[in-house]
Order: sequence, then C-alpha cells, then structure tokens
Amino acid sequence: MSGLSRRRFLLGSAALGLAGCSRLGWSDLTPMVETPGMSMGHALRDHRTLPPPSASYKTGTVILGSGIAGLSAGWQLARAGYKDYILLGGPEQYGNAAGGAFGDLRYPKGAHYLPLPSMESTHVRQMLQDAGVIEADAMAERPRFDERALVHAPDERLFVHGRWEDGLLPQHGQSAQERAQQAQFFKYTDQLKQAHGADGKRVFCIPLELSSTDPQWLALDRQNFANWLDQHGYTAPGLRTYLDYCCRDDFGALASQISAWAGLHYFAARAGQAANAGEGAVLTWPDGLNPMARHLARSSQGQWRDGMAVRVDETTSGVRVLCAAQSGGQWRTFTIEADHAICAMPLHVAQYVVPHIRSYGFDPASHMPPHAAWVISSFLLDGFPAEEAGVSLAWDNVIHGGRGLGYVVSTHQDITWAPPPKTVFTAYQVYSDRTPQAARQWLQQATPQELYEEAACDLKVVYGHRLRQCATALDITVRGHAMASPVPGFLHNAGLQALRAADGKVLFAHSDLSGFSVFEEASWWGVRAAQKVLG
Amino acid sequence: MRSTSALPDRALILSVFIVASCGLAYELIAGALSSYLLGDSILQFSSIIGCYLFAMGIGSHLSRYVKDEDTLTRFVDIEMLVGVLGGISAAFLFLVFAWLSAPFRTVLYALVLVLGILVGMEIPLVMRIFNARQTEFKELVSRVLTFDYLGALVVSLLFPLVFAPRLGLSRTGFLFGMSNLAVAIWTTWIFRHEVKNARQRVLGAAMLLCLLAAGFAVGEKLTYIAEKGLYGDEIIYAKTTPYQRLVVTRWKDDLRLYINGNLQFSSRDEYRYHEGLVHPLMESSPWAQSVLILGGGDGLALREVLRYPNIKHVTLVDLDHAMTDLFATSDTLRQLNHNSFHDPRVTVINQDAGRWLEQSDGVFDAVIVDFPDPSSFGLGKLYSVPLYRLLAHHLSENGYAVIQSTSPFFAPHAYWCIDATLREAGFNTWPYHLYVPSFGEWGFVMASKRRDFKPPQHYRLPMQYLNAATTQEMFTFPPDMQRIPVEPNQLNNQSLVRYFEQDWDQVIR
Repeated sequence: MSGLSRRRFLLGSAALGLAGCSRLGWSDLTPMVETPGMSMGHALRDHRTLPPPSASYKTGTVILGSGIAGLSAGWQLARAGYKDYILLGGPEQYGNAAGGAFGDLRYPKGAHYLPLPSMESTHVRQMLQDAGVIEADAMAERPRFDERALVHAPDERLFVHGRWEDGLLPQHGQSAQERAQQAQFFKYTDQLKQAHGADGKRVFCIPLELSSTDPQWLALDRQNFANWLDQHGYTAPGLRTYLDYCCRDDFGALASQISAWAGLHYFAARAGQAANAGEGAVLTWPDGLNPMARHLARSSQGQWRDGMAVRVDETTSGVRVLCAAQSGGQWRTFTIEADHAICAMPLHVAQYVVPHIRSYGFDPASHMPPHAAWVISSFLLDGFPAEEAGVSLAWDNVIHGGRGLGYVVSTHQDITWAPPPKTVFTAYQVYSDRTPQAARQWLQQATPQELYEEAACDLKVVYGHRLRQCATALDITVRGHAMASPVPGFLHNAGLQALRAADGKVLFAHSDLSGFSVFEEASWWGVRAAQKVLG
Repeated sequence: MRSTSALPDRALILSVFIVASCGLAYELIAGALSSYLLGDSILQFSSIIGCYLFAMGIGSHLSRYVKDEDTLTRFVDIEMLVGVLGGISAAFLFLVFAWLSAPFRTVLYALVLVLGILVGMEIPLVMRIFNARQTEFKELVSRVLTFDYLGALVVSLLFPLVFAPRLGLSRTGFLFGMSNLAVAIWTTWIFRHEVKNARQRVLGAAMLLCLLAAGFAVGEKLTYIAEKGLYGDEIIYAKTTPYQRLVVTRWKDDLRLYINGNLQFSSRDEYRYHEGLVHPLMESSPWAQSVLILGGGDGLALREVLRYPNIKHVTLVDLDHAMTDLFATSDTLRQLNHNSFHDPRVTVINQDAGRWLEQSDGVFDAVIVDFPDPSSFGLGKLYSVPLYRLLAHHLSENGYAVIQSTSPFFAPHAYWCIDATLREAGFNTWPYHLYVPSFGEWGFVMASKRRDFKPPQHYRLPMQYLNAATTQEMFTFPPDMQRIPVEPNQLNNQSLVRYFEQDWDQVIR
C-alpha cells in the first residue's frame, strides 16, 4: 500500500532471482500444420472430376464464401430483413479472420486487429455497435468503445540491438537528423489525413472506394513507395526499416514493391478516434478478428450451408452454382439456383469458379493482383518466458529489422492482475525476400520442423532457449495466397475496377477488389454487394 | 618421456579445468546479480565482463613477480583466496545491496577487480608449473588452454540452465568457491613435498571449505538476513510465492507485513486503516447480510466485517493462497486477525479478482476492495472501467462499495484518477481520507449506484479511531488535498499507473 522505492522494489525481484524460479523442462515440439483451402483449391485448379450433383436448391441470393466479405454481405441482407439467401461456408470458415484454441485459450489464425474506424467507415461502425464494441456515439467523431477490446497498454514495443523500446519506431541511438525525418514523415502523413482532392473527397480514405479520384494524387500510384520516399528525402535507415515493416505487415511486400499511393494510404487513411482511447489505438481480441467474424456470422445462422462453389454460370433467369462438399472423405456435389451470386472469394479462386470472368472485364492473365503468402504460428506457452528486468511484455512485440513480423500475446487483454498460468504467443511471417510464387513453393515442400524454425525466428532472438522451456504446442497456419499486394498501378487496374462495378447476376465481394487485405475493405465490398442485391 | 609421473600432470590439467570453470562462474554471477539489482542487463554484463577481463590482464602481468620456486605455493594460496572471495561474492553483494545502497557499485567493481586479478594469475602460474616440470612448450600451451576453454564452455552452459535456476545465485557462488578450495587442497596434497607448509595450507583450506559449505547450506537464510537488514526488524516469516514476496517482521509488539518490500500494515496502527476502510460502509449498510472482499488476504478487513452480527456470509477473493494460508495458520497472525479465516461465515477463494468477477455470479450487499496500489500494468487493470463495471454487477442496487485508493496527499493524481474511473463506470462516489501514522495520509473512495450517502454520525460497535468528529473530518478534504482534474484510467493508456509512478517519484527523490 505504501512506500515505494526502486531499491526495495528491485530487491523483491532480486530475491525471486536468488531463490531460483525458472523450470527446467525441455520439450520437443511437433507442430500441427494447417494449409486451409489448399487441397480443395488445388483440386479446383487442376479440374478434378467430381460426382454428378445429388441435390438442388433454390434461393434468392447465394453468398459464396464465409470470410469477412461474405459474412458482411449476409449481415447486410439480414439487417434489411432479406432472408432468402444461402451463405456457402467455403473451404475455410471465416477465412483470414479464423481463430483457434488450445483448450480455453483462444488465438488468431489470421488477422489480429482492427484500427479504430474512420468517419467514412459507417458500415464498420454499425457492425461494432451491433456487436456491443461501440457503446455510444457510433457515428460521432469519437465513439465510446468497450475498453475490453481497445488494446491495453503497453501496446507495442520494439527490440533494437538487444534492448526493448516503447513503440515501433527506433529511438535509442538515433541521430538528431534521423529523429527529424521521423517527425517530418508523421507530420506530413498527419496533414494528408485532412487532405482533399479537387473533387472534394478525402485523398486517402477507408474504404478505398470513397477516396478522391483527383488525377494529381492518383499519380502516386505510378511509382513505388521506396522511390517516393527517396525523392522526398526520407532516407534515414531506422525510419525506412520501420516503413518496410509496415508494408510487409499490411501488404506482404517491401516498400520498394508496393505503390506509393498505398504506402501513404496506410498512414493517412487511419484517422479513426475514440472517446476513451488515444490516437492510433486499435481493437483486438484474444483470437484476433475472429469474434467479429463470429458476430457477423450470427445474422446468417439459418442461412449457412457447408460446401464450396466449384462453378458459377449465368442462366437466363439467374445463376446456377455447382457446389461440392466433403463428408467422410467422400465428395458430393449439389447445385444452387439463385437470382444473384455474390462471389466472396479471393480472385485467384474466382478465376476458376467463374470461368467466364473475362466477360465482366477481368482478365486473370493481366489483372490478377499478386497474392503474398502469410504464415501464422501460435505457440502455447506453459508460463511466460522471463523478460529482462524492468521490461513489460507488450501486446505486439516486434524485432527491428527482424525476419518475421513479431508476435502478439493472446492473453494481453485479460483483466487480471497476475499473468495467467498459460498463454499463447502468435508469430507472423511474410516472405518479402522472394516472389510470392517462390514463397509458396518453399512453403509447400517445407517440413514441419523447417516451418517451426522459421516461425520461431523472432522469438528466439528475444528469448533464446527460454522459449523452448515454455513452449508446449505449436499451431502453424500456412496461407499461400493470404493477401493481395497493392503494387504500383493497382489503383488503375481496369480489371479490378470492372469487378467493383459489376452489377448483374454475378457480384463480387472481397478485399482483393481494393487491392489489399483489411477488414474494412472486405466488409465494404460485402455490404456493397448486398446493397446491389437489395436494389 | 620424463621422470615425472603422469598423476601430477593430470591433476594439474583437471585443476585448470575447474579453475577456468570457477573463473567464468564468478564473472557470470557478478553480471547476473548486478542485472537483477541494477537493471539494464546489457550495460551490467558488458561492464562487468570488461572490468573482469581487464583485471585478469593485470593478474597475468603480476604473475611475473612470483618467484619460480614459489609458483606452486602461490597457486595454492590464490586458489584459497579466489575460493573464499568468489564463493561469498553473490551473498556478500546481496547483503551490501540490502544494507547500504550507495556504495554497492563500488563494492561490486572492487570485488570484480580483485577476483579478476586473482583469476588472471591462475593460468600463467599453472603454465609455469608445467614449464618447471619440463613439459614441451607447444604441448603445454595446447593442453592448458584447451582445458581452460573447455571449462569455460561447460560453465557458460550450466550456469543459465542449471545453477542459476536451481540453486540461485548465492548458493551457486558458494558451490564454485568450494570447487576452488578443493583444487587448493588436492594440489597441495599431490605436491605436498613441493608446496611450503603443506599441512597448514591443507588445514586452512579445509576450514574455509567447511565455512563455504555452511554458507551453501544456509544460502536461503542469507537472503532473510539481507532482508532483515533492509527492513530493520526481525523477520518472522518470508516466502516467495509465484506472485510476490511476502515478509513479516516483528519489533517488540509491532508486526509488519511487506509485499515486494512495500509495507502493507503495521500492527500498531492498522486498526485506523481497517476501521476507516470497513466501518463507514458497514455502518451505512445496516441491512447488509453478505459482503465481498477483494484482496485483503491478511484477514484484517475481514476481522472488522465479522464484528457485525447481521453479516451472514463473507466471500474473500485473494490471488495468493500463500498469503491467506499464512494468515489462517500462523498463531501470531491469527491473533492479529482474530482468527477471522476460521469463522464459518467466511468463504476464501484464491483466484485473480478480475477473473473471478467475470466468471462468477452472486450479488453482495457490500463490497470492500483492498488491492495493492496500482504500481504495475497488471495491477492497473484492477482499477479500470471494465473491472468496476463487473464489480457493479456483483453489488446490490442500494449497496455501497469502498475502494482502497492510495494516498491523496502523496499520489493525488492517482487518487483522483481512481475516483474519476469509478464515476466513468457509472458509480456515484464519496472520496474520503484519514491519517495512518505508518503510511501517512491515506485515501479511500466510497462508491454506489445509489445517489445518497451520509457519513455515519455514530457507530453501533465500539471503535478505537472512528467517531462522529473523526468521520466528519475524513469526508472533508483540506485545501492541500483538493480534487484535481485528471483523466479516468483507460486501459488503452493505463494513465493511472503513470500518474502513480510520477506522483511517488516526486515523493521519493
């Protein structure tokens, strides 16, 4: 209750050290490796023969896919009182918003946070209000959020040259010039948050579709982000490593590989605020975005059907979807006849499912955005590996210039005093050092042990052998085509523009339409497609 | 190839191995201990290693002044010195840190320097002994250095994996000191005809070895002694639990409980704290039958609650069962809490309060929150809007809750932040304070979903501190403790933990 002094405080911890408290277990990990959708996707690509349809269903609208886009479409239809639809789960329930669990400890198997929604993201605000995450003033500048979902302090830290710093930008030992560049960059992107194009729209907006189409700004899409940074004198190595990290984290590629417009969008479009959190706060749950996906899925509970679309054809009266489902190792197929089909699947899948996709203006050969691979590895830990004296574990822990994207702690949001006896650290990997194809090839032939070594690369830098002492299980999720990368020219991709505008019997809804993979974009296209159905 | 037998040579090589292990062990101990105590392990480790290596250089240089005929004797002497100094180094440094904070670094580096010099002399001397025994130079260098490095490897692996976690630092120190002394004894024995005064040396080394063995045996005790120096009083109980370090001290009739070095109560004046915490609430809730206590594992708030015959049931949730067990079983402490844990009306739950509030149901007529101060991010979560909302679910519509809220005088920002957080969570609040001599000015916040609260004018039960006048004073804040504008605690920035740190930083230096 009283009397703090550093000496006494430290003595408490020193006494712990002297008494000796760490255990001496040495367990061998056999990782579980999952490749969601891969075998089904490859069967589709290789035109595997399937048995003839054994059943046929009729409905108003069929939603193909249960990722955020598909679930958002269902949510929007249900909100409008439109119940005559089927939501086909697809090869993986929840897609990139999937979650897993070790016992009652939940963890993400994909995306793990959602930035505070921008003013324009009314659809996201509505969903959050529905889910009880926004408690008041959903459409105001600063809504009030449920604090259990707002990331708790300390939210992020950076491991630089063997020591931890707060935040993700390196500070210690950076020259005055380097710091000045950092400050200048953020001053500039802060200005961009308010910038409007000649058409009166915000230059960088989430959802992307509402951004200004002022050609002066769109010209940024013609060069890569690294190039733009060079031209504007942002050359400080610490800043550039950080920016590369951001691009890898959100886009799966380096600054030199993505559009300058997308690079700036990352910083300038996230202007959401909260009544009860600071700037740049994010929403997160132990299992990443999975609770939001489950919440959205609730509105389509009665409409859900297992199976995946194999082929979509337009008919005179609507669409006919051939679907396949696996039960007990046996494939069976069925057809769904509907007025509308919403293809809520990534475009590398849609190109096979919708054989006539060219007729909508999308030519896979020239319009397909590159998809980066992503590996998500969750370590079940029996206790927390010791941190350096006086340093607190954060929610997001990143290694400056590290090979991976760092790791998040699943129990960070627990409202408890003492750390729980077990926790899950989830590490993220992208392979921006090679082409997406090369990364997928490597991932396909890698042994579980190789994947484990790769997954642990950041954690080993920080904890060394202490990791092995605590880790008791490992779940690796390999996503070969996890996210579209917004390469230069992506805004001018006529194929994507055509699919966004499609307004016939076949509609498209996926974050691929925006060119990069975030919740707000996926849900936007889902809601838009549903609105087109509703007319 | 030579007349000398193989045994002494092998003995010497084994000595090299052990000596090298011990040399590295002392370096690691000093580095680890200073990281524990001073923080910033990179700085501590690199400066300790630098200083140690430099001192070894000095030692190597000094070794030339040892006369040829004395090499074996001096080697044995140095082993004894290294054994004693290195052996006690960890325990000694810890005691120094506990008693005298200022010269700790000086003592640390002086010790590292002396140890380094002595260790630095060992290998040159062994080489000269080999040399004197006409070993070929290339073989000599190769054999000695091989085992030197091998010893270093073994210890560098075993220290973090086995010794430090299993034995703790002070006992590890004693163990390696004993190895040095064993080398001294063994070497003297094997070369008893060459070492001067071999008999006395063996005897002396054996005595020192026994001393270190005793130190090894009571290594844990030394921690207590160090703490006694820190706390000033006799320690009657000390335990490191998975969550905290508990120390109970006694000086004459004054019992004190410290958690992680922070005073929790002094038996001389705890009645003031606990009367102030419990009775304004209980006196205002005459209908109350069930009470929830969060924290308060010492059973003292419980003691006060149980004085009311109208109370039918009390649930006490405290994280640490070592704490509640101690106060339920120790005779001295049971006297202090009037055996409150053995009252049939009491249910004790050892769980994290936050988790328990989330997972259990049950509504109570009164809630008493006696958590430790918000000195860490973990504790800060127990003073948050989500936690207070959970609390509200467990409090009856017209019931009151009281929250221990740190000092409104020493930590005003933290105190008023707790008040603001309770309001943010939808409570009406009535802050109050009182003077506890061993703490200073201390603060509480009365909270309720109802709008009215009147400080009691009288108490049904006899009180030592509370009456109408003192109670009225408690609910009045003098000009130097007025409410200050602060943000409520948000988990996104944990402003309370920062306020608390800043406030107390101003008080302590």
